[in-house]
Amino acid sequence: MEIFQWGTDPWGQEMLVRISWDLLYLAFWAGVAFIAFHIIYAVVWLPRLARANGAGAESGAAANVPARITRHTAAARYFHWVMAASMIALLITGFFPIVGIQFPWLTIHWVAGVLLTVSIVYHMVHATFFLDFWSIWILPSDLAEAWNRIRRQAGQQTAPIRKHGKYPLDHKLYHLAVTLAGLAVIGTGLVLMLRIDSIFWPRNAYFLADETWGLMYVIHGLGGVLFVTLTLTHVYFAIRPDKFWLTKSMILGYVDRDRYLEHHDPDRWVVSQESNKG
Amino acid sequence: MAVIRDMMPAFQLFQPTTTDEALGLLDQYQEQAWVLAGGLDSFDWLKDRVKRPAAVVDLGGVEELSAIRSATGGGLTIGAMAKLREVVRHPDVRSQYGLLAEAAGLVASPQIRNQGTLGGNLAQDTRCWYYRDGWNCYRAGGTICYADTPTAMNREHCILGASRCVAVNPSDTAPALVALDAEMDIRSSAGTRSVPAEQFFLGPDVDIMRMTVLEPNDLLAAIRVPGTWAGARFYFEKSRDRQVWDFALASVASAARITNGVIEDIRIAVNGVAPTPLRLRAAEDAVRGRQLTDEVAAQAGEAATAGVRPLAHNGYKVALLRNLVTRSVRGGEA
Amino acid sequence: MADYKLIGKNYSTADLVAKVTGRAKYAEDFRADGMLFAKLLPSPMPHARVRSIDTSAAEAMPGVEVILTADELPPVDAPNEAGLTNEPVYEGEPILAVAAVDETTAADAIERIRVELEPLPFAVDPLESLRPGGPDARLDGNTMANSELTTIKWNDVDWAAIDRGEMPTDGPITDEWEVGDVEAGLAEADLVLDETVFHQSMGHQPLETRTAMAYWQNGKCYLYVSTQSTLRTHGPAARGIGIAPEDLVLVSEYCGGGFGSKIAGFVQMRLPALLSQKAGKPVMMRITRQEEHFIGRARPGLQGRVKIGYRSDGRITAMDMFFVQDGGPYGFSTDFMNAADQASLMYQPLSHRLRGLSVYTNTPPRSAQRAPGGLQAVSMIAPIMQKAANQLGIDPLELIRINAPAGQAKLGRPTNGEQGNVSSAFVREAADIGESTFDWQAMRARSGRRNGSKVTGIGVALSSFNAGAWGMDGLLTIRPDGKVYIHQGVGNLGTGSVFDTARAAMEALQTDWDQAEVIWGDTSKHLPWSTVQAGSTTTHAHTRANLAAGEDAKRKLLEIAAGALGGSPDDYDVADGRVFRRDYPRQGLGFAQAARRAIELGGRFDGHELPGDLNPVTVTAATALAGLGLMGVARDNYPLGGRVISHAIGFAEVEVDLETGAVVLKDYRVSTDVGTVINPRTLEAQLHGGAIQGFSAALGQKWTYDRRWGLQVSKRFYSNRPPTMLDVPHEEPMQWVAQDKPDPFSPMGAKGIGETAEGAGSGAVLCAIADALGEGYFNRTPVMTDMILTRIENLPPAFSNLAAHV
Repeated sequence: MEIFQWGTDPWGQEMLVRISWDLLYLAFWAGVAFIAFHIIYAVVWLPRLARANGAGAESGAAANVPARITRHTAAARYFHWVMAASMIALLITGFFPIVGIQFPWLTIHWVAGVLLTVSIVYHMVHATFFLDFWSIWILPSDLAEAWNRIRRQAGQQTAPIRKHGKYPLDHKLYHLAVTLAGLAVIGTGLVLMLRIDSIFWPRNAYFLADETWGLMYVIHGLGGVLFVTLTLTHVYFAIRPDKFWLTKSMILGYVDRDRYLEHHDPDRWVVSQESNKG
Repeated sequence: MAVIRDMMPAFQLFQPTTTDEALGLLDQYQEQAWVLAGGLDSFDWLKDRVKRPAAVVDLGGVEELSAIRSATGGGLTIGAMAKLREVVRHPDVRSQYGLLAEAAGLVASPQIRNQGTLGGNLAQDTRCWYYRDGWNCYRAGGTICYADTPTAMNREHCILGASRCVAVNPSDTAPALVALDAEMDIRSSAGTRSVPAEQFFLGPDVDIMRMTVLEPNDLLAAIRVPGTWAGARFYFEKSRDRQVWDFALASVASAARITNGVIEDIRIAVNGVAPTPLRLRAAEDAVRGRQLTDEVAAQAGEAATAGVRPLAHNGYKVALLRNLVTRSVRGGEA
Repeated sequence: MADYKLIGKNYSTADLVAKVTGRAKYAEDFRADGMLFAKLLPSPMPHARVRSIDTSAAEAMPGVEVILTADELPPVDAPNEAGLTNEPVYEGEPILAVAAVDETTAADAIERIRVELEPLPFAVDPLESLRPGGPDARLDGNTMANSELTTIKWNDVDWAAIDRGEMPTDGPITDEWEVGDVEAGLAEADLVLDETVFHQSMGHQPLETRTAMAYWQNGKCYLYVSTQSTLRTHGPAARGIGIAPEDLVLVSEYCGGGFGSKIAGFVQMRLPALLSQKAGKPVMMRITRQEEHFIGRARPGLQGRVKIGYRSDGRITAMDMFFVQDGGPYGFSTDFMNAADQASLMYQPLSHRLRGLSVYTNTPPRSAQRAPGGLQAVSMIAPIMQKAANQLGIDPLELIRINAPAGQAKLGRPTNGEQGNVSSAFVREAADIGESTFDWQAMRARSGRRNGSKVTGIGVALSSFNAGAWGMDGLLTIRPDGKVYIHQGVGNLGTGSVFDTARAAMEALQTDWDQAEVIWGDTSKHLPWSTVQAGSTTTHAHTRANLAAGEDAKRKLLEIAAGALGGSPDDYDVADGRVFRRDYPRQGLGFAQAARRAIELGGRFDGHELPGDLNPVTVTAATALAGLGLMGVARDNYPLGGRVISHAIGFAEVEVDLETGAVVLKDYRVSTDVGTVINPRTLEAQLHGGAIQGFSAALGQKWTYDRRWGLQVSKRFYSNRPPTMLDVPHEEPMQWVAQDKPDPFSPMGAKGIGETAEGAGSGAVLCAIADALGEGYFNRTPVMTDMILTRIENLPPAFSNLAAHV
């Protein structure tokens, strides 16, 4: 397996062209492997854990909790789906031709890329100023807690495990991965648009040095194939029956009180009758 | 490692005598196989060591691929391995499809027409001088079009339909066959499929590394020219810098039915201006059903150049395209 | 004209049958036992330094015998080239050579060699290098002044003007001369045309690439090489290999064209000899078309400004020329100087100035190419002449006549304030005979004729170029078999002159051609001192030298006859293979008898005593031949009236399609002042062949560089477009007419023509295009479809008028 594709410049000097498309297949199969692993984990391991922990819905300080708790505002949901649509479009236009399904992909690809960029910029502004900014980022306490969970799952005695805040660590991890990969593909993608004719500027393949361009293609490619894995696993979780209430929340915007109480610590994700705005 | 050109390396040469045998070899070697027809395109690549196939399948001995037959119910079927000279000289081509005879007669030089085949002329690779010289461009699997950079020399490149790559299709017979509404019979071990001439050619927007829909295990077996345009009023013109042995800067082919001075129907195709031979529907629509006058012809020319995007060195091709299309509607001697 | 027996008559040259039957052996047709094949490793960069070479993988291949690097070559002084280099200065320059059992193995071996290169600054366009802070093509400078490498930058010129395509004339230069007062001449002119001009660089592209094969036997090197000259290649080849001339046998019986790129062979011809020495086996180095394209030399392009002042009667009062020459990476070409010399002759300006310099670029090495500078002068100035003719209301042919040189006209760079002169010029006569033979007025009447979108253009141009040399030696022996063996040191370039000039000796002997044997093409066959087979010198120089040898033989025949048969030598004459009594022709000796008698007499008769003024090379050759028969041997001591220059006037008719920009050359005719016509057939071949090369310059041949990389993208014939058969007028045969007026200062009055012929073709076609477009002057060659359409459609030009290599 190759990691990079090398070529030569017109002077015969070796230069980095892009990632090897072997990585695309690797990313795909990595996603599939993760899903397979998780299915086994969910089928074999989780019930055992559940039995061991005697899991069940805890009753408690739920008096103040409304029947429907807003998890994603309309604005946040629109963003998510616009982003998802453009990402799917980007993945299809970016990778289908490589695997042999050919069509005129470039214009759709860059238009979708611009759309993704706009939606991400919107999201950054929105999340920074209008949402609970820190709720999605991994904090030191998340890591300590995760360590406890792992130890407990391995059968060790730990302090009692608290329920999650608004976003559990796995969501935060996913968000982090998407953020990094997304910024990588967007940043490089915008620069790469200088290589094609667009309505914005005359193309100029000599705008950057060849080695810089090579790096751009590599980062764009790495981000792209990472999204293959991320998208596969994301879709997998979204359609898992036990996670479907979360998917539903991204469609309808709210979670039911029972789910809220079952998965979240009201102290950590504080909701009130009025706090339906999320 | 050092690069050396103009010296053919060793390869395995296969000389099948039947199409099935040839297809078997293509199946066996897949991407490693190279189909050799007349060799005028192939030997450049091989001699320059830019393309390095493991196995060359020479179709020269496959006689069934070179026949020219009149089809029942009108039309002609021309084997892909028919020599251009034979196409030019064939009495039915001359009498009924003079457009093709003329186009094939303007390919390269007499020596090349003696050796070159119709199929080879259609399936040949582009002549972009950066790509032919082995520069690692999009078409060669890279990430750049050297012919469209601030220093690029692109006098002979495209003004329409570019997508990253700005190379043009160099075939002279292609626009004639698009105008004649020909069909390409493509054979593989899975069977025969038929593709209209217009769809036979692939632009870089779809596949930047191929010129046609031919897959590695496909053979272009025959070109079927339907009777539809037999005996129509034809026009072919090739603009070039030399009087012989030159690729078209632009070429135009048209077939028209004109009754009482009215253009009943017309098909116009051009080449040398886009990555594929281009049928000019807008130009056809501009004149179809109208009285043939110089003004109407000029409108076709104007319609042909809608959406052009000339490069630094080929602005002249816009005027050339406009005038050639105008002339092709106007008719007369090229 | 004198009544000649052989001169001026058509005949078939001795090499004709071998050529048309394919039996002629060109350099690559030779084989030797155990012969290896060589391949060269070309530089992929326009300018680089070799950091390291790793040949281990190549050497490990079966069949790879030896590798030769630049370090193993005898050194040369900058700015000259060695044939292999560790600092390539142009794309395609050979870095090393490999010899292997066959070419495929050698090429495969090249691919396995790893050469680490450090890219260095490069310049493709001379003006790029003159720009302040611009790159230099060589590490030791960008030009040569007073034979020293130096760097010149144009810090204080108007670069915005250059970018607009106008050449300023105030940049520093290295070369300048003036005759009369040009500023005053321009001031007194009624019409001044002031034009920026551009002439492209062009590869020589001979049909036969520069191939060489060598082997060693008993310490002697045998070199079979494609070269224009034979004798004059011998010395340079020996020096290149690093051996004494007597240790080299050079064979070159046929040459498939050189056009100035193989005058004394070529620098890489040493490589097979050195590889062979190292390998102990014969080595053949066949050069491919693409290699030829790079190492095969090119004509320097010129970027310049020409100002010409005319009086209202058409007389040129002043001509001011300013040139930047594209010098390539090596050596020094004098094209821009020649351009001024020839212009000073053709147009006889009352005052004249040349200013210019040659700038090194990282493009293929330059050398003389057919009419070096002469072609450029005509291509650039003929359209200006036509423009002036139009503005002054004078017939362009008449304008040529008004300014034409006559008699021993002056020309060129003055020495001590005085210009030199030519031996003869019959330009007005050539104009007259052309005008009447070709019905010039009827041609002119067709100017502007419309045929649909096509319009007819008519052009006429005068061309001059060097056409002679002198002081060479003639050497022949009349042997006891009755035959006359004429030894020729010039090469067999394909012009026929190696045979044509031998006929001068037979003319002196008034003997049939079938009694002659021409010995040529092999330095072991005792060849006399000769000119280079170049510069259109052979016909002039060797009709003289062979006539001298023929007359010497004749004198000896007369003496032998008088001695044998009585009376005085004056009582005898020579003709038809005999020496005989004038008053009693039946009494005499046949050549066979005379040859035996000469051997008996010995001394000067059979070459045992030689004239004292012979070149040492001839002395060696004659000494080896002494005793074989009656020897005719002499130096050309005939008088000389000045530089020998021939003239041609081309008449062209083109049709330009205003809708497609297509140019079709319909007709070309040429009249010439070439002195005595030696062989009408070869004259026609030169007049037309030269013109076709001129059509090439005017209509299509050029190369194209991508400046980002300094690499050429037009390496194939179909992309650099030399003309084809069908680009030559073929509906009617091209006509020609020669005045056949002998040069009064040469005994036979013959002049060369090969180079003169080219400018006439180029200039006439360029004028015809301008005429068709109605004042459509480009001042730039070649004129191609894109330029014509851009002009007609009034589009913004794709490149500046001064841009090189686009």
